[in-house]
Amino acid sequence: MYRSPLACISGSVLLAIASLSASIASAEDVIRFGAPLPITGPLAPEAVKQQMGYNLWAEEANKAGGINVGGKKYKVEIVYGDYQSNTPRSVQTTEQMITQDNVNFMFGPFGSGAAKAASTISEKYKVPTIAASASSSQVYDQNYKYLFGTFTPNDTLTTPLTQIIKAKAPEVKKVAILARNDLFPLAIAQEMDKSAKANGFEVVYFEKYAINTLDHSATLSQIKSLAPQWIFITGYTNDLLLIRKQMADQQMKAPVVTMIAGPAYQDFIETAGQSAENISSASWWHPAEQYDGKDIFGKTSNFVKLFKAKYNSEPDYGQASAAVSGALFQLAIEKAGSLDRDKVRDALASMDVMTFWGPVKFGANGQINSLEPPVFQIQNAKPVVLYPEAIKQGEFKLGVN
Amino acid sequence: MLAVQVLINALVLGCLYACIAIGFSLVWGVLNVINLIHGSFIVLGAYLAWGAYQWAHVSPWYALLIAAPLFFAFGYLLQRLLLNRVISAPVLVTLTLTFGLDLILNNAMIYYFKADYRKLTLSPPTGSVSLFDVVVPVDRLIATAAALALTGLLYLLLRRSKVGRAIVAVRLDRDAAVLMGVDVKSIYAIAFGLGAALAGCAGVLMALIFPISPLTSSAYLGKAFVVCVLGGLGSVSGALAGGVLLALVEGIGSVYLGPAHATTLSFVLLIIFLVVRPQGLVGRKGFE
Repeated sequence: MYRSPLACISGSVLLAIASLSASIASAEDVIRFGAPLPITGPLAPEAVKQQMGYNLWAEEANKAGGINVGGKKYKVEIVYGDYQSNTPRSVQTTEQMITQDNVNFMFGPFGSGAAKAASTISEKYKVPTIAASASSSQVYDQNYKYLFGTFTPNDTLTTPLTQIIKAKAPEVKKVAILARNDLFPLAIAQEMDKSAKANGFEVVYFEKYAINTLDHSATLSQIKSLAPQWIFITGYTNDLLLIRKQMADQQMKAPVVTMIAGPAYQDFIETAGQSAENISSASWWHPAEQYDGKDIFGKTSNFVKLFKAKYNSEPDYGQASAAVSGALFQLAIEKAGSLDRDKVRDALASMDVMTFWGPVKFGANGQINSLEPPVFQIQNAKPVVLYPEAIKQGEFKLGVN
Repeated sequence: MLAVQVLINALVLGCLYACIAIGFSLVWGVLNVINLIHGSFIVLGAYLAWGAYQWAHVSPWYALLIAAPLFFAFGYLLQRLLLNRVISAPVLVTLTLTFGLDLILNNAMIYYFKADYRKLTLSPPTGSVSLFDVVVPVDRLIATAAALALTGLLYLLLRRSKVGRAIVAVRLDRDAAVLMGVDVKSIYAIAFGLGAALAGCAGVLMALIFPISPLTSSAYLGKAFVVCVLGGLGSVSGALAGGVLLALVEGIGSVYLGPAHATTLSFVLLIIFLVVRPQGLVGRKGFE
């Protein structure tokens, strides 16, 4: 059949317009969330946890038809970017997601350091961002308008912990603190130092170790020689497992050993085995909590059930925080009834809601100020909640061998 | 007692550092190639030990017997097929080639093993031995003994065997060695193979003590580099001296200045050595 070139060209143009409008239509039906994560590198295990939380939320939101924006349902799409545990790269990834991947909203990268660095970008482009794993006050002291965080300040972890040790182990007087030289672990160690001194403990050792340190034997020998009754160590799961192994190698024993933030994770308990026993810790959430949320997950027990069904493991606070960050975006977008970034930002700022994570209300600086984080201890290879009273599961036990 | 404990820790760790560095020193000394794949070879050796123990319940000591020939063959072929083509080019070319190969090997490990850390945990655990208040973990002691044995074996090989003497001859004077009928290409490949085998074995030993991840390769490479400069290139005893000196500086620095400054201190020492004594503690021309 003969066709004129003009007919061919106009046909092609029509086809192109049709496919373009189809793609615009489909783009309009999706809300894109940018999630820069350290998918490779030393922080990769933490990134995987955050990804699990985001994916569970996206799956649940899409199963329910999507997010309701003024009567129209939008599917959720999460755009991941690997910044290879390299903080400067998390800033680049954030900028790329906003300017090239056209995401509507952002999740912060992992940890306080990267979240603080990347927040300058999302603030510049006025993109509402929820940081699912940043607790240090330095992140929120910037008083950015578009940044929100689901972790309470670090002292909400160290203060109840110190008070429990003071009450349950009055013979404990000397504390040694060893911190990873990184924004969050160092900030929480500094809070511990303040909290210990304020409660009458003597801090006999307070030092930082460099990121990627392989051998801690000299440091641990020095701590051992000072005979502290409470050894407080901060870092991420891999650091803490390495230090715990080297503590056992040196036959270090103490009435109290606290590690933040590893013992909340199941892989820490499994890998450390017997040496995890009686290690105390604190985190921002625990599956034993019982909140009746207005978010997509509803009750805490329902979130735990859904998580177990999908991943065949108990959720920890990192996974739960990522999931609640998505759920909070969903609540804010539905309340705003719009995808307008300023309207969603205002909805987040004025939020006062109960979720499976606990009561959520953000302070003027964007950091959540409504949570009461639990203190727990590993007993018989399980984290047992010691505080708050409402969800207490057991009594504090002395002695880490 | 703290001083004795720190000294013992440093001696043990120093022997392990020497084991990390000795293959690197051999390749650098004989081939004049700064082998940037060395750290990844160590990590690959650690994975081999971990995998053998995890999946086939093969003890790390037997893994040493598997790692040595396997890595030797790998190194030998790599040198014959790739490095040999650029061996006479300026040092920057060989540096770029080994850098590229390291990127490939390291990323392949990230792809297959992921960036997660793994740990080889012996069952039952080996525990620690203590005398008065000084405590030394048994796994470190065994690894140290194995590291010293490997170092001794290399020393004997270089001193007593025909191949070893040919390696030293090539190191001393390449042209004279050619005139004496030494097949330099083969010697280069054997030296590189030996370097790779020593790295693989060091990895097996490191798996007993440190967590395993492709990302630790740069830490091992950094240690190897510092040990070589401190001890001096081209000497087995230099690697031992450099390893112990580095571990001592890190240990004492960590106690007196804080652990955060230990690495900085070792690099300050490196710079001082490069300026004041570039030949290192025991650096000599020959490899003996």
